Amino acid sequence: MKPVKDTFKVLRRSPYQAMAAALAMSLTFFVSSIFIVLIVGGQLVLKYIEQRPQVIAFFKDDTKETRIAEIANEVKSTGLVREVKYVSKEEALAIYRERNKDDPLLLESVTADFLPASIDISINRAQDIEAVTKQVKDRPEVERVITPENLVGQLVKWTKTIRIGGIIFVSTLMAVSFLIIIMVIGMRIALRRDEISIMSLVGATKWYVSRPFFIEGALYGIVGASVAVFLVYSLLLFYSPNIQSFLGPILVFPINPLFFLYLWLAEVFAASTVGIVGAAIALYRYLRIK
Amino acid sequence: MIQFESITKKYANTQALSDINLKIEDGEFVFIVGPSGAGKSTLLRLITREIAPSSGRILFREEDILRIPEAKLPMLRRKIGTVFQDFKLLLNRTVFENVAVPLEVLSKKQKEIEKEVSGVLEKVGLLEKANNFPAQLSGGEVQRTAIARAIVARPEVLLADEPTGDLDPTTALDVVKIMEKINQDDKTTVVMATHNAHIVNHLKKRVIVLAMGKIVKDEKEGKYETG
Repeated sequence: MKPVKDTFKVLRRSPYQAMAAALAMSLTFFVSSIFIVLIVGGQLVLKYIEQRPQVIAFFKDDTKETRIAEIANEVKSTGLVREVKYVSKEEALAIYRERNKDDPLLLESVTADFLPASIDISINRAQDIEAVTKQVKDRPEVERVITPENLVGQLVKWTKTIRIGGIIFVSTLMAVSFLIIIMVIGMRIALRRDEISIMSLVGATKWYVSRPFFIEGALYGIVGASVAVFLVYSLLLFYSPNIQSFLGPILVFPINPLFFLYLWLAEVFAASTVGIVGAAIALYRYLRIK
Repeated sequence: MIQFESITKKYANTQALSDINLKIEDGEFVFIVGPSGAGKSTLLRLITREIAPSSGRILFREEDILRIPEAKLPMLRRKIGTVFQDFKLLLNRTVFENVAVPLEVLSKKQKEIEKEVSGVLEKVGLLEKANNFPAQLSGGEVQRTAIARAIVARPEVLLADEPTGDLDPTTALDVVKIMEKINQDDKTTVVMATHNAHIVNHLKKRVIVLAMGKIVKDEKEGKYETG
């Protein structure tokens, strides 16, 4: 415990440098957390959409049920789809009635004959929507095909953009934090040069001399990552009603607390590594023990 | 215990030591004397490998200290206590904390550190000043703090580089008496560099005289004649 106590003693002697390093770390990992949450959230939305029937093929009125079943089987045999569900005229009417139960005007004189039979196709991967759509669209029995292809495409594009933007932005901030840590620890080494030299002359090992600086680097990481995850957690908690109402039926909340525990652990690990490596570089650069 | 074999040391264009051959035995009290620039400090700094010689060999208990790998150098330094010419006390630490440094480096427990430091401060007569900072001490007290730090980890050898430099004759004699006591009571080998003839002649110990980087005299119970 003594090295930790000594580190705190040193931190108290020049708190502003310590605050600068911890703040830089907090900012870096706060932005990282935001991007991670956005990417994970994007994935959840994408997964939700992928689980819905993405392609619905409506058949002409005179198409026999047996023919529809054949087509459904052919689509299934491509291996690209997870599920093909047949919706008969009667089932379509039931869905229509359920959707419009509050509007009796729309229900008047609507019978099963008005509505076409269809197959709802759920696809394994969003990128296969186009291929599956093409497969059913050109058949003479098929009247119309609807697909949320554009929405999925946009979402995939956005997620990719966020990921690339996040990597660039976070890498830049990470480099800044890294340099700040090297600078702050380098200044501390310079301030303690006499002490280090005396310790070395009375028999201190390099590890003994370096240890407080490694602890300091790791401490900046732990504080930075903890502040960042706490802030993101608080913000999400505060804005969860707004986000949920925006996302509608896509259930994102309540977020599993385990997600934040894993996020915190991963960020503490990453941030401590940044701090320790920064300290190691500062020690290599500024500490020359004879 | 310590053996110099054909040691030379050159700093840029200055020959600090040339062809030094000497042997210091266990438990000896040795004065290294000579005028400023004679090479006294260089000789002491070579023993702790603070600097390396230009040529020659230095043995510490039969081990060539120049062959000690960097990682094991602290083990050598733990066997040697040094009183530096410029004290090298940490100004932001109290007397107690300064003296405790060598024990902290050895990762001793706090209780043991307290016991050892109190014991050694009592020995050098500084127990009541334990909580003072170096700036609050007199010249003699600063020197005694430096000696306390040098001996607290019970080294095999005590090196002292001009420990009486700026002290008045009475205080200087007090400081040297402490070192003589350490030599006699703990059987610690003492090597002291000085140009204080009065002290050297008073103690009647082995005297090695250096001049222009060479040993010009080496006598048991020797004297230092400055004239």
